[in-house]
Amino acid sequence: MIPSIGHAAIVVGFGLTLYSLAAHVLAGRSGDARLSVSARRAIIGSFVAAGVGCLAMIVSLLTHDFSVLYVAENNATTTPPFISVISLWAALEGSILFWTLLATGWAALVLHRYRARHRALMPWVGATLSAVNLFFFAVMVWPGNPFLLTAPVGSEGSGPNALLQNHPFMALHPPLLYLGYTGLAVPFAFGIAALITRRLDEEWLRIVRRWTLVPWIFLTLGIVAGAWWSYEVLGWGGYWAWDPVENAALLPWLTATAFVHSAMVAERRGGLKIWTAALVIATFVLTLVGTFLTRSGIVASVHSFTQSAIGPWFLGAIVISLVASLTLLVWRLPQLVGGGRASGTVSRESAFLFNNVLFLGLTFAVLFGTLLPLIVASTSGDTISVGAPWFNTVTVPIFVALLFLMGVGPALPWGTASWTTVRSRFITPLAVAAATTALALVAGLREAVPLGTLALAAFVGTIMLDEIVRGARSRARARSEDPATATWHLATRNRRRYGGYTVHLGVLVMAVAVAISSGLASDRTVTLAPGESAEIGGYVIRHDRLAIEPLASDARVIETRAEVTYSGPQSGTLATALRDYPNSQAAIATPAVRTSLAEDLYVTLLASDAATGAVTLHLFLNPLVVWIWIGGAIVGLGAGFAIWPERRPRTVEVAEAHQAPAAAMVEGT
Amino acid sequence: MRRTRWLLVPIIVIPVTWLLLSGFSRDPREVASPLIGRPAPEWTLTTLDGETLSSNDLAGRPYVVNFWASWCIPACVDEHPVLADAFARFGDDVEFVGILYQDDPAAAAGFLGRYGDAGYPHVMDPGGRMAIEFGVTGPPETFFVDAAGNVADKNFGPLTDAVMAEKLNSIMPAASR
Repeated sequence: MIPSIGHAAIVVGFGLTLYSLAAHVLAGRSGDARLSVSARRAIIGSFVAAGVGCLAMIVSLLTHDFSVLYVAENNATTTPPFISVISLWAALEGSILFWTLLATGWAALVLHRYRARHRALMPWVGATLSAVNLFFFAVMVWPGNPFLLTAPVGSEGSGPNALLQNHPFMALHPPLLYLGYTGLAVPFAFGIAALITRRLDEEWLRIVRRWTLVPWIFLTLGIVAGAWWSYEVLGWGGYWAWDPVENAALLPWLTATAFVHSAMVAERRGGLKIWTAALVIATFVLTLVGTFLTRSGIVASVHSFTQSAIGPWFLGAIVISLVASLTLLVWRLPQLVGGGRASGTVSRESAFLFNNVLFLGLTFAVLFGTLLPLIVASTSGDTISVGAPWFNTVTVPIFVALLFLMGVGPALPWGTASWTTVRSRFITPLAVAAATTALALVAGLREAVPLGTLALAAFVGTIMLDEIVRGARSRARARSEDPATATWHLATRNRRRYGGYTVHLGVLVMAVAVAISSGLASDRTVTLAPGESAEIGGYVIRHDRLAIEPLASDARVIETRAEVTYSGPQSGTLATALRDYPNSQAAIATPAVRTSLAEDLYVTLLASDAATGAVTLHLFLNPLVVWIWIGGAIVGLGAGFAIWPERRPRTVEVAEAHQAPAAAMVEGT
Repeated sequence: MRRTRWLLVPIIVIPVTWLLLSGFSRDPREVASPLIGRPAPEWTLTTLDGETLSSNDLAGRPYVVNFWASWCIPACVDEHPVLADAFARFGDDVEFVGILYQDDPAAAAGFLGRYGDAGYPHVMDPGGRMAIEFGVTGPPETFFVDAAGNVADKNFGPLTDAVMAEKLNSIMPAASR
């Protein structure tokens, strides 16, 4: 009964989306307002249908309805309700159902929001989003039916993916990522609409800025949450492995970030139109390519569940969207050329341009590294793998250059910068960077990458601080406010710029944390009998006891656990375990992480001997890792601040503050 | 410029399509085995019936080594009838042996009870030593060893009748083909 409702909802959603596509196209051609209204209602209806589908799946999971193949494969009678609910995205078919809910949600939201505005653009936005959603509904109607029934019906299922059960972050990481992925269809739809209607002025860019930043925030948080999850769960002591699926999320993030920057130039100075339009297209296609690569099983990854019939459908979707959007772009090329005002070599514009070149370079590098095994296999038949060292070698210099630009860019004026301006802006930051380097050297830091990153961070941080202080000072003088109030007023009235500063600050924090934690981490592997101790960087680790017993919450899961006492900068007891899940070939590690602001003590159980109680432990001391997560949160907060609606229009006083030299430039990110 | 700009579309689309399309023809987990053309690892293991079986007992005859597990569903279930059928047809000329991959004897016997026991021996692999020696990444994987004791071919993933026939050809004596 419930599965039939779910399946019916999907079919209805497919029909409504098909109607909304056709009606939007007709409305776009004829300008018929009533058709637009009914098309919009159809999209909202498709969102409701997807919601009913998801609900039916959740109910089937909660009631352990093993007549549904998806439930039989991803659920067991012992599965707790919370895990049952999040099993909605435990495997491919459920993920696509959930994905469709989010995609139709974005579409309904954007069409409802602009129901009375942008009458020329919106039908084509609706048509593009309908076409995208139609694909996902079609996948569920044909090759990836989440409500496929199975017979005979078993009395027990295989249980959820072991990794899903092992950490609460699995409730957070996929939805954030999917919200990001699906949301990036919105700027794509506006780009396509602008190209179709030839309305390539600032209108679509102004709308799309916010609609790009919101999914961008979700994507950023999703990537950071994924890194955090992999750190807390996988037990290898790291957080980023350049796994194809991580790259798949990073690729659209890189082009979306480039877009956010180039859109500012396009909006402000009228240039970079082709480029900006190409970036939204690339971002969207990359979300499809990423999903395709990891889900179809073409690239080996922890995330490729199976080789499924959905792969060819995704390939078709990629090719269609690539052909359609490129054709459109090439067709409109003559209208896109030109329009920008001239600017000097050293200016805000050129900083943005470099920024985009670097982001694109990163995109190509990561894409190349991800696809190289496929290219080699297709041409010569050899099997190769591209590992983290390659990615690090190629991308670290680009990241460093971006970091540098992040400081320099916002401090340069639009138009042309004079040598005097440049000198006056950068002398103090350079001095601070030199002083920081000297201090770090005195403190005993010798590794090049952490040292360089620290110096660069000091340089960039000082420039940002200088910008904020100058702005606050001139406002404080003009309005006789105290500096803190002046800064707050400036920030809330220039949300984009100050939000951008905050995002950059978060990136800075992450960059330092990544450089230090990867450059200065230490680790050792020790085998300890009960009562024996080992040392790592000021900590003493004592192995107390080995326990092998079923989990209290699920007796089918056998836990092999080392109980350990540690003392040093932090002290206490911890337990690190390997868990054997009935449906998983390999044991799942449950590393113990003891976090402080300065460092993480990270202990993984590698092996144990039940007879003697001896254990082999991998001990890691990872400095500053917590700052990566903190930096990620700052990035999210900053971007959220930037897009928060301004309370009232800008006042004359703020315009005056803008004229102060430090603020004679525009919004940051 | 006006016309040539259209070349941009195929220049981007064709390589991307070709690359992604070619990805379908291979399995990402399939790694060419360095064992091919080399002598098969030697082993002496205990069968599910408690008897001792050694690779030396099979020497001089071609044999098929199938790594499988009772928990490997559906792949091992899918290929099970293929193995049984091949054993029924070619069992006089080719030896078959199943090696259990991270499994326990009771579960394996249960699997054979449910899906049918073709009659060739299955051996336990305590500690997964044979799986390591053969370089097995996950069941099912099947190795085809010729009469000289060399690994002639391997198959990753479930066997089909066509694949089985083709790979058996590479190890069977010409007269019996």
